[in-house]
Amino acid sequence: MTAHEWFIEHRTEYAARVLDAEESAAFAAHLAHCDACRSAVARIEAELEWLPMGATPVAPRPEFEGRVLAHAIGRSASPWRRWALPIGIAASLVSGLAGWQIGQAKAVATPPSVAAVVTDTTGRAQLAALRDTLSIMRTAARVMQATITMQGKEGGMVIFADPVTHRWNVVVHGLPKAPVDGRYQFWFIRSDGMVRGAEVQVDPTRPMIFTTGMPPGDGEILGAALTIEPMEGQSASPQGRELAHVML
Amino acid sequence: MPTAGVPSLSLHRDGTPDSSSPAAREAALRGRIVERDERALAELITATTPWLLGVARGMLHDTDDAEDVVMEVFRTLWNTLDGGGDGATGLMPLLLRMTRQRAIDRLRQRTRGVRLVEALSPGEQARSAVAPVEPNEAAQAGWHIHRRVHAALGALPDDQRSAVMLAYFEGLAQSEIAARLGVPLGTVKTRLRLAFGKLRTTLAPLKDWVP
Repeated sequence: MTAHEWFIEHRTEYAARVLDAEESAAFAAHLAHCDACRSAVARIEAELEWLPMGATPVAPRPEFEGRVLAHAIGRSASPWRRWALPIGIAASLVSGLAGWQIGQAKAVATPPSVAAVVTDTTGRAQLAALRDTLSIMRTAARVMQATITMQGKEGGMVIFADPVTHRWNVVVHGLPKAPVDGRYQFWFIRSDGMVRGAEVQVDPTRPMIFTTGMPPGDGEILGAALTIEPMEGQSASPQGRELAHVML
Repeated sequence: MPTAGVPSLSLHRDGTPDSSSPAAREAALRGRIVERDERALAELITATTPWLLGVARGMLHDTDDAEDVVMEVFRTLWNTLDGGGDGATGLMPLLLRMTRQRAIDRLRQRTRGVRLVEALSPGEQARSAVAPVEPNEAAQAGWHIHRRVHAALGALPDDQRSAVMLAYFEGLAQSEIAARLGVPLGTVKTRLRLAFGKLRTTLAPLKDWVP
């Protein structure tokens, strides 16, 4: 077999990109000066152009398409843009510190993992809350956020995840009061199922923030969700309407 | 590059382009993106992302890596698409090719450590990459192409289909396939050559899907 016969024989494998790396590189170099092979490879590529559609489609994670768009058009090129919303929320928290009474997270099923950030309106407690908040935001490796629209108003949930302490700061903002027969409930999405977190007591006039550790157990934490649960009973899994979920 | 199955631009009787034809819609969408219409790009992202993620995820077995690949593909498209160049190639085939190529590049960069794919059994590999989508899961556009491709793959003999799955959809090198299947390297090459020859014949008539 001559050298060129080898290239002719392997046109299809090259066009399908299934040659090993060294062979593929040699073929690419050959194409630079062989019109016949270049033309043949182009034709085969066209014949096989839909073959990748045999792969099983994967549903994108929430917010992914938005990230793709932002990345493509360059809005995420500058790091501050990625942090714009979280920083904006943090700034709002700071600017309103004097007048705020940050809501208390009510631990329900996982008392050791949930801590109220602020339980009174004294300056010391507020400063402690601010320090805790900024500490986690500063080291947060991931910021997850979801938009929630209720009763014509747009709010959301933002989670700052600290990989060192394995604690999250959760901000819920812009939501109306819970219905009379329901309550806002935070859930962990874990590889072995949903785990009840804190009940979120929303005040429509200000953001609610709480810090939570991870629930006990061996399952991997995959994300979090916010639901409205019936007032009566405490099911081990969500029974009410899902408002938002975010995935790590 | 010549394109298989691209219908010629349809014309109304008065000679104006038929905007309902796939070619006209393709040209319109491409033109809007070239004109930096972000909404057009958003439409393209929404329509095509599940398929692109499927291609990248099937090869990389890592969702974060797959997402990185898809993000880079769209960034490249946004920054490089113009009226010429790859204009003869449909947007979707172009995106699929770019995604596969970037996934291959990323696979080849994994020079250390155990590749995630090796942690899967052969049965899991076959299911993970090219498991057919059930009709009730396939409400999204492009499913008819997916079904046609699966029919073509399903028509291959088992040994040839396994080689294609591992080489094309999993991104394994031919030497890795030979080791995995316990057959000589030459046998893998023969199976791939025969399989792709049949796939070329079967898939060439496919018409465009315009996102």
